[in-house]
Amino acid sequence: MTHTTLPFADLERVYETLAETLDALPEAQERLFLAQLALALAHRVGDIERVMAAVEEARRGVEEAGSG
Amino acid sequence: MRPAGRAETDSLYFDYPNFPFVRPPELDGRAVRHQVVIVGAGPVGVTAALELARHGIASVVLDDKATVNDGSRAICISRHSLEILQQLGVDAPFVAKGLGWTRGRTYFRDREIFRFEMPHSEQERFLPMINLQQQYIERFLIDKATESELVELRWQSAVTRVSQNDSGVTLEVSTPEGDYRLKCNYLLAADGARSVVRKAFGLALHGEAYEGRYVIADIRLRSDFPTERRAFFHSHALPDSTLLVHKQPDDIWRIDYQLGPEEDPHAAVEEASIRERVSLIVCEVLDEGDDWELEWWSLYKAYTLALDDYRHGRVLFIGDSAHLVPIFGVRGLNNGLADAANAGWKLAWVLKGLAPDRLLDSYSPERRGATLDVFANAGKSTRFMTPPSRGYRLMRDAALTLALDNDYASGFANPRQVTPYTYAESPLTLPDDAAFEAGPIPGAPLPNRRLGDDDYLRGHLGSGFTLLHFSRNGDVDSALAERLAALQARGQPIELLRVAREPGAEGALVDSDGGLFAAYGAESGSAYLVRPDRHVAARWKRLAPDGLELAFATALGEE
Repeated sequence: MTHTTLPFADLERVYETLAETLDALPEAQERLFLAQLALALAHRVGDIERVMAAVEEARRGVEEAGSG
Repeated sequence: MRPAGRAETDSLYFDYPNFPFVRPPELDGRAVRHQVVIVGAGPVGVTAALELARHGIASVVLDDKATVNDGSRAICISRHSLEILQQLGVDAPFVAKGLGWTRGRTYFRDREIFRFEMPHSEQERFLPMINLQQQYIERFLIDKATESELVELRWQSAVTRVSQNDSGVTLEVSTPEGDYRLKCNYLLAADGARSVVRKAFGLALHGEAYEGRYVIADIRLRSDFPTERRAFFHSHALPDSTLLVHKQPDDIWRIDYQLGPEEDPHAAVEEASIRERVSLIVCEVLDEGDDWELEWWSLYKAYTLALDDYRHGRVLFIGDSAHLVPIFGVRGLNNGLADAANAGWKLAWVLKGLAPDRLLDSYSPERRGATLDVFANAGKSTRFMTPPSRGYRLMRDAALTLALDNDYASGFANPRQVTPYTYAESPLTLPDDAAFEAGPIPGAPLPNRRLGDDDYLRGHLGSGFTLLHFSRNGDVDSALAERLAALQARGQPIELLRVAREPGAEGALVDSDGGLFAAYGAESGSAYLVRPDRHVAARWKRLAPDGLELAFATALGEE
């Protein structure tokens, strides 16, 4: 089964839109917004394995980058 | 700025020249009408003077200084700029002295997350980028201009007033031996970000200023690290600052570091602060010994600002007087040189009576178009390098963190270096011939092609227009040859450059393996009309004799 991924130019648009959406939110709502977004995107992916891989990808990044 | 006790021109590696004031005829009451005056003897102004001289037009260049720039400033020269310099016959000292490079690295939390290679191939004469301090850039150009009988450099000559009417431009010039009035047909304003000419006409730059300030500091440091662009995000030594590091000739290293939002820029540029921060970067980030000398530093803030129109009557604005762009992506100098080449040939054609004044109207859409393109890219780079807000900072850090292990996110760290702009939308450019499947589109710069040892396609082009014609055996249709001869008979500088698949035709380039035909998507009978600045004006899969005149008239602004 082949999976499509987002072309980089579109990923850049997502980046810009998210940056501006985050700026428009109160800082205290940032976490709630991002967690909702993760669930909404997971719903659209339609493949549990890929969603879990993405969760692991993000977790590993945080672990490697450390808290500082 | 320089360390305490050292004068502005007291450099560790560069001997500043002193250009004497030479009394001009105007000071002795002799009024001379000049064709072109250029304000500013920086890289852009002198390049414009050399481009005019290449087409036989004399110019007077005014500068209020008696020497070259106080610091290294613009240090990256792109391949496209080197090609412009090659046309002016001044590329050799740049290549000999400059440090060429093709790659860069991005580090996040002291780990390398991304490497980029700039496009390069054996077809190119020049590397994609060379690093060279602006003092050398200026000196090499000034040396060349001094050799030319068509360029008169007037140092220690400050412009105080400018006005224009239908017949010309008048400048008031202040010098050590008194003031005088200077008259010319056209004026090129190459007098930089704080342009006196721009202010004299009450013209304003419009656009944005970005958050975030950078210190740019030059140090002398002996290191074997290769010439590359290095960018550091969140290093353990300076977690809140983005750093950029470039190597320059003479063991000079450029270190750019971001100041925090709360930092007082005035305190940050005090010598003690500079020394403390640079020492930390050299030892903790670059992993070098603390054995370095401080050369020069300056404060920098990113802007995307441009004039609404680069033409103001008989005045054309070139370089920083017309536009200010962020340093990330090295577009300031490189776009300025392209401005100079563009304005230069057009002004020469108008002054020689080979094109209507209207040709100059195309300068602004072509070069301002390039600026707006830069803004789109530089805005993204700048928001990445110095996130302007909480949202951008979080997204930037998220992208970099993902990029530690995932290639899909590393593209965000791409510095989007300068690429030449394509004048596809220009009024001088004909629509493309849909039959082409390869090769440069109309408006694009003509790509180079290696023909042999030290022999490249661009080296064979004429100094004016060139009709690059492809055929099997070097034959040109007799009706087309007649049209070409008729243009030449009218005094239009247009040369025929033939590319043939088979040897035998005298003066034709032989493309025995078909590589040149393929790169240009050409078949027998195809042709490209190339402008004096080596951009494609039009191309035809099969050029009919009638096609040439329309394209030529369009390229001169006549249509």
